[in-house]
Amino acid sequence: MKKIFLIFTIAFSILVTSCNKDLNQVPISQGTTLTFYQSPSDFIQGVNAVYSDLRGYPDRLLNLSEIRSDNIYGVSDLGVRDWDPINSFQKAITGNTYVEEAWNTDFNGIFRANEVIEQIKKNGSTINSATLATRLDAESRFLRAFYYFDLVRYFGKVPIIDHTVLASEANTIKRSAIADVYKLIIADLQLAITNLPASYTGVDVGRATKYAAEGLLAQVYMARSGPTYGVEGPGLGLSEWSLALPLLQDIISSGLFALNANFANIFSYANQSPTPTGNKEAVFDVMYVTGASGTSSIYGATYPWDLAPNIYFKSINDSKSNGSLEVIPVSNDLLNKYAANDVRKAFTVHTASYNNAGSTETRPFFQKYLDFTKIPSTSRFDWGINFIAIRYTDIMLMKAECVLNGAPGSQATDVDAVVNQIRTRAGIGAIPLVNVTLSQLFDERRREFADEGSRWFDLQRSGNLITTMNNWINVEDLTRKQMNQVVAGYIVYPVPQSQLDAAPGLYTQNTGY
Amino acid sequence: MENSFYFHRSFYFYKRTQIFRVMKIGLMLLFVSMGTIYASAYSQNRDITLNATNTSLKEVIKQIEKQSDFTFFYNEDYVDLSQSVSLKANKKDIAVVLNSLCSQAKLNCKFMENNLVVITSESQQKQSKITGTVIDSENGESLIGVSILIEGTNQGIVTDVNGKFSLTIPNPNVILKITYLGYLEQKIALKGQTRIDIKLVRDVKNLNEVVVIGYGTQKKANVTSSVATFKNKNLDERAISRVDQALVGQMAGINVKQTTGVPGKAFSIQVRGTGSISAGNEPLYVIDGFPLSTASTNGAGNFATGNPLDNINPSDIESIQVLKDAAAAAIYGSRASNGVVLITTKRGQTGKPKITYNTYLGINQASRKVNMLDGQGWINRATEIINGQYLATYGAKGAKVTDDAAARTAIVGSFNVNYFLDPRWSQAGHPGLDFINWQDQIFRTGTMQNHELTASGGNDVVTYFVSGNFSDQDGFVKAMGYTTYSARANVEVKATKHFKMGINIAPTYSVIEDPGVEGKDNIYHQALSMSPVQESTAGAYANSFNNAQYAWSNTTNSVLAKLQNIVGETKRYRTLATLYGEYELMKGLSFRSSINLDNTDNNSRSYVPYTVSSTLLSRTFDPAAKALTSNTSGSFNTYKRQTFVNENTLSYTTSFNKVHSLNVLLGQSYNFDRTDNSSLASSGGYTSSVIQTLNAASAVTGSSSSTQNVLLSYFSRVQYSYNDKYLLSASIREDGSSRFGVNSQYGVFPSASIGWNIIKESFMHRIHALSDLKVRGSFGANGTNNLGSDYAPIPTLVSSGYAFGSTLAAVIGQSPSKIANPNLKWERSVTYDLGLDFGFLDNRITGSFDYYNKLNTQLLLNVQVPEVTGFSTYLNNTGSVRNIGEELELTTHNFVGKFQWNTSITLSHNTNKVVALGPGQTQILIPSSFDISNFILKVGQPVNSIFVIRQNGCLTQADITNKVAMYGTETVGDPKYQDISGPKGVPDGVIDANDRQIVGHPNPDYTWGITNTFKYKGFDLSILIQGQNGGSIYSLLGRAITRTGQGFTDNAPSFYLDRWESADQPGAGRVSKVYSTFGRIVNTDWLYSSNYVRIRDITIGYDLSNLIKKNIVQGARIYITAENFFGRDYYYGGANPDATNTDLSGNANYLAPGDYGGLPLAKSIIVGLNITF
Repeated sequence: MKKIFLIFTIAFSILVTSCNKDLNQVPISQGTTLTFYQSPSDFIQGVNAVYSDLRGYPDRLLNLSEIRSDNIYGVSDLGVRDWDPINSFQKAITGNTYVEEAWNTDFNGIFRANEVIEQIKKNGSTINSATLATRLDAESRFLRAFYYFDLVRYFGKVPIIDHTVLASEANTIKRSAIADVYKLIIADLQLAITNLPASYTGVDVGRATKYAAEGLLAQVYMARSGPTYGVEGPGLGLSEWSLALPLLQDIISSGLFALNANFANIFSYANQSPTPTGNKEAVFDVMYVTGASGTSSIYGATYPWDLAPNIYFKSINDSKSNGSLEVIPVSNDLLNKYAANDVRKAFTVHTASYNNAGSTETRPFFQKYLDFTKIPSTSRFDWGINFIAIRYTDIMLMKAECVLNGAPGSQATDVDAVVNQIRTRAGIGAIPLVNVTLSQLFDERRREFADEGSRWFDLQRSGNLITTMNNWINVEDLTRKQMNQVVAGYIVYPVPQSQLDAAPGLYTQNTGY
Repeated sequence: MENSFYFHRSFYFYKRTQIFRVMKIGLMLLFVSMGTIYASAYSQNRDITLNATNTSLKEVIKQIEKQSDFTFFYNEDYVDLSQSVSLKANKKDIAVVLNSLCSQAKLNCKFMENNLVVITSESQQKQSKITGTVIDSENGESLIGVSILIEGTNQGIVTDVNGKFSLTIPNPNVILKITYLGYLEQKIALKGQTRIDIKLVRDVKNLNEVVVIGYGTQKKANVTSSVATFKNKNLDERAISRVDQALVGQMAGINVKQTTGVPGKAFSIQVRGTGSISAGNEPLYVIDGFPLSTASTNGAGNFATGNPLDNINPSDIESIQVLKDAAAAAIYGSRASNGVVLITTKRGQTGKPKITYNTYLGINQASRKVNMLDGQGWINRATEIINGQYLATYGAKGAKVTDDAAARTAIVGSFNVNYFLDPRWSQAGHPGLDFINWQDQIFRTGTMQNHELTASGGNDVVTYFVSGNFSDQDGFVKAMGYTTYSARANVEVKATKHFKMGINIAPTYSVIEDPGVEGKDNIYHQALSMSPVQESTAGAYANSFNNAQYAWSNTTNSVLAKLQNIVGETKRYRTLATLYGEYELMKGLSFRSSINLDNTDNNSRSYVPYTVSSTLLSRTFDPAAKALTSNTSGSFNTYKRQTFVNENTLSYTTSFNKVHSLNVLLGQSYNFDRTDNSSLASSGGYTSSVIQTLNAASAVTGSSSSTQNVLLSYFSRVQYSYNDKYLLSASIREDGSSRFGVNSQYGVFPSASIGWNIIKESFMHRIHALSDLKVRGSFGANGTNNLGSDYAPIPTLVSSGYAFGSTLAAVIGQSPSKIANPNLKWERSVTYDLGLDFGFLDNRITGSFDYYNKLNTQLLLNVQVPEVTGFSTYLNNTGSVRNIGEELELTTHNFVGKFQWNTSITLSHNTNKVVALGPGQTQILIPSSFDISNFILKVGQPVNSIFVIRQNGCLTQADITNKVAMYGTETVGDPKYQDISGPKGVPDGVIDANDRQIVGHPNPDYTWGITNTFKYKGFDLSILIQGQNGGSIYSLLGRAITRTGQGFTDNAPSFYLDRWESADQPGAGRVSKVYSTFGRIVNTDWLYSSNYVRIRDITIGYDLSNLIKKNIVQGARIYITAENFFGRDYYYGGANPDATNTDLSGNANYLAPGDYGGLPLAKSIIVGLNITF
């Protein structure tokens, strides 16, 4: 009997001690922050994750800039889609998926950038190469600025988060004045310009370069130069054209970039590698690869079909339901802006009618990024075409705009010649323009950059957003009367409802919502 | 001699001298290590030392009782204990001593089991004799040990192993009182009879009934907490394919929801409301002492890695007990917050081998349909919408509703279904078109069969129960089916007097065939939505194989063709095994150790051929010259789930001083749970149109992952009763779980309960109407660790890849997926329970009533945080939810005797309220996958309250003139909504998200069940009616088929016949005009009551034992059952008010499973036969 008890007692105590250790389980199929950031490749993977948040950037531009603008008349027929209230200037869009997505993804990108910047500061010694550490830090700062600029353009005032914050701290950080947010953006970009290389080789091609940072900073100065419309938005009414100009000039004189001779070639699926080896127009790309091997994840794009209807894909026998649920038609106004022989029209807009299940659909849609021979074989989320976030043509036209706004330069060489070069490429340059005006420049930008998500911001900067939009709505929406008039408050979007709910009283809603 | 004995007026069993020893042991069990206990252990004593000279027999017996463990039974009326005896003995065996004493006193002594000694007088033998048998009235089995007492005397007898008895009686007209544990008492006036056969009727609720509690059993009369019991009887007499199916409507406070119509799929069980917001509300299941891993439903309401009741054969089950309150469940501590379901399987009984064969055959059909518009109704509605579109778009160009095709072509330019009508619609007999009821196309009458053979029995050394079962059920939807094979062996060996060991092993295998019928855009949803008008050339095979889509139809592929060609098959092999040993260290003290393994291997495969997907073009011709089979897809997924549990308990039971009884338990448990998943899917289609396995896929993608957790527990319980009158129970458990933060892995869960058996008080003897009365109260704390993830506090990294390179290639990115929380700890619930158990009129009426108040605190809640943290939510212990409810269980024996009628009623009421959320937070809007949020967590309101805009009829011109608030560009005939607020918190004349209000909650306020059973001669009839009241359904299926702005192609419910057509024909006010362009917003259009009343089961049986020779067959019963044949619900936007099949939140942090195409329940008719050999 005594023995039995002894055995039980021993067995029991062995069990207890050995089991206690079992409570410390480590995830079997996932890494954790505790075990990460120990080697150079860990930091590189951490920075790659900051880039990863760029993947939704083109879709966002199409949903929140292109659809918002006069390029799209997207009043839906059958039921209301998420893009309908964006297009029709409905007031109740605080819960809109696209609005929520913009805030969430951009702040997630900022969080990831902050995480890496802090980890480099803390554990950066494990990186071995100081050059690499500096570059990774600069890449993160470039991306932080990129996400912040995106936020400012959509929401105006936003909270400044320059380090990782926990819930308790986040609940105390209010939205900062626009000027202060810009201060962070400019500081980050200036540091990035100093520390980023001019170009990359091999596997690193596509990372942020010095010129990407210069291009972005130029965009920032120009946005600040736009009017305020009496709203706390991206425009501050500052005249910083001459601050933007040298940055643009530096990109141009680098000799790394050039205009593509053929307009279509800019968006060719065969011309996907960015400069220096590939697409000379691409100053900064959001990069996608289709059918990435050796992985079950998808690294391809969805944005090419965001503005194209599913039924078109069905009509050409695509079984994967590419495309939006309904037609999101290109506005008549935009179509009418193109000359018949403008190569950009046919390339950018699908105007031919097509049949699906016995019905004929005649409304045009955007197809700039669509090559119907390149429909991905496995998933409709896996299109293999990069999105040029900063295009060399844009750099040239931005410079022209700065000059027209009074920055030092020549009307003939820096404005007229550039615009004519682009018109020639489009097949409409037979009669060169002289003394190109700002208005003509913006019209050219509209034709050139249609379906690239630039229109809404161009309108903002031009100072004519409200009048242009309302004039257009009154004509285009004459019969259906589905759209509301644009007021100044609509320059920016509302703070998403989820954010107002998460920290009641912390953020004030934008005026107009 | 006959084994008759006489009863003393009051019995006593005890060991007075041992009180203090026992108390010490109890304390030591709790607080001291086990080594110490050994020192005070002692062995049984049979040696007696006496030195009596002319001492009274009474005194001598007292001395013997002091020295030994023996207890004496005698009746002072017959046995003269005052006579003097003399005897000297020195350490002599008690048998020798007693023989000597009894022969001196001319008395009979007889040793019984359990150290009882019965003393009777030799002169008691009387003249008259009565003989007879006692059998069970239901199955005719002989009853052993039934007590038969001559009323008014203390003279009696018990029946022998054959149920026979023989008793001498003082006169031929005595009345016999027959009592037996578990049966109703009977009194029989002999009236001179000398032979009598007695049939005893089982007592549904008996005070001496023993119930299973965690780690042991307890007399039901002494239970101080809230425990609901369900007996197997109800299982054997019905045709049931899952255990959870049997529980519907049977126990108060336990809400069993049949969330699916797919046979073989798990039900959802909730005990006492929804206490947790995101850590699961499913109870813990314990089978024969083996606590299974808790499983929670995923966002879609399914059990992704199995349900604990999967593959468990219902007919193997002896009883089910549900520990409802915290005090009962607290012994399971950290996982007991949602109640504990204890399942006991059948064991062998000592005696003759018993062989049973149970079988049933039956058919099943859909119990109801969703009434949709027929072909003509659809045409009328489509015409209205197409004309509306035509006018709206081309009105300015002179379009008129009356325009024919030519006129329309002139205006529109080219043919377009959105503006053109099919001319055949208006032709008599609509030539070339078929009207198809798609639900009729997919439904069928399915057959079911079940066969089961069991053998049980045992002797003093071995008891066994062995069963084998085969069951096959065709669903009421074509191609749907469920087949199970299961076996069980429960064997126990009493190896020595003090050691027994046993093994329970149950291997099972099941196959579920379901080509994806339930859920959003799946077959049933499509069968409702698909246009009921199709080309005659294609018929029910529209848009599949070589048939095109009808121009005016939606793009859905024929649901019939899909059912016939898509494969969805789940095969599950599960084995539950328990090996245990129990050693009796000393009298009353035993050590039990068990090793348990639950292993499930599940694999599911799917195959979707190109012939039933996409468009005609892709099925017949591919311009890119890709193989047609590139649109075929397939997958193969597996999971292996293993739960290993080792439990060691020490229990001590004793009673002392006649009135104190004590039960002490000390235990320790180790629980390990691991799941390994793998998935393979075809990529880029198939290379063969014949082979379905993935070797024929063009390419295959695959992945695997694993997850595991450990739970470590220590627990103890003390149960004490004074005279069975005053009852006390307390327990404590400490659990450590690997799922929590390093700073807070351990949780302590105490409980205490008290009870007072008032009926045992002497003052109650005067109140004859009352036969049972007990009040009880309990308090306890429990926990939940059901996080859905084994690694919730750890900031795991997720892959966030990107592409780089001059030759573009994917690169790996890693980013944290959440905010770390090393302090994450147990969700905790504290429950107070007050209960009353009562019985009236000799327990003809029995019942119990409970009131409970359960507060879940430090909820594992994903609190919304500003996105500037990088994330939208953060898992933290915050917030609380309170459930308050009352439960009533009532059983009445309305008629006893030849015609029997019993009624049992269960009624539960539960109110549920969010008490607090995150700090400073008053509400959380639950995200929606499909629209703006329509569920809300709001302080003071029920969990997941429905938060939408209220519709108030349809807009009239007068409303518009008066500028009532409108949504978007509404016009006359569109719905009128209630404007209750705006951005500034006051009505603003605009309908938008600010006008949402709480209009209902998903959980019913009342759930109830009534079972009536009748018996007459060999016939029995039982009827179970069950229902619920007070809940609402916000139906996304309803939204899918009735939303404003819906196109004409999709079909709509038949209540659309009462729609707004014009100012003169405004319809019933619920359905606005069908052509609308203002869009839609979440509103009460899609709100339905979840109330229902359902006659779940009607069974008529006949006992064949009267017709069959007893020597071949002991008992036989034939029965016919109708399940779910009658019922009424108010869910017009779907088929099953309890259905859940689709993730409505699209967010793992806030689970909101809902109905988006759930099947109706099956109704079935079954003929069954039970035979006992």
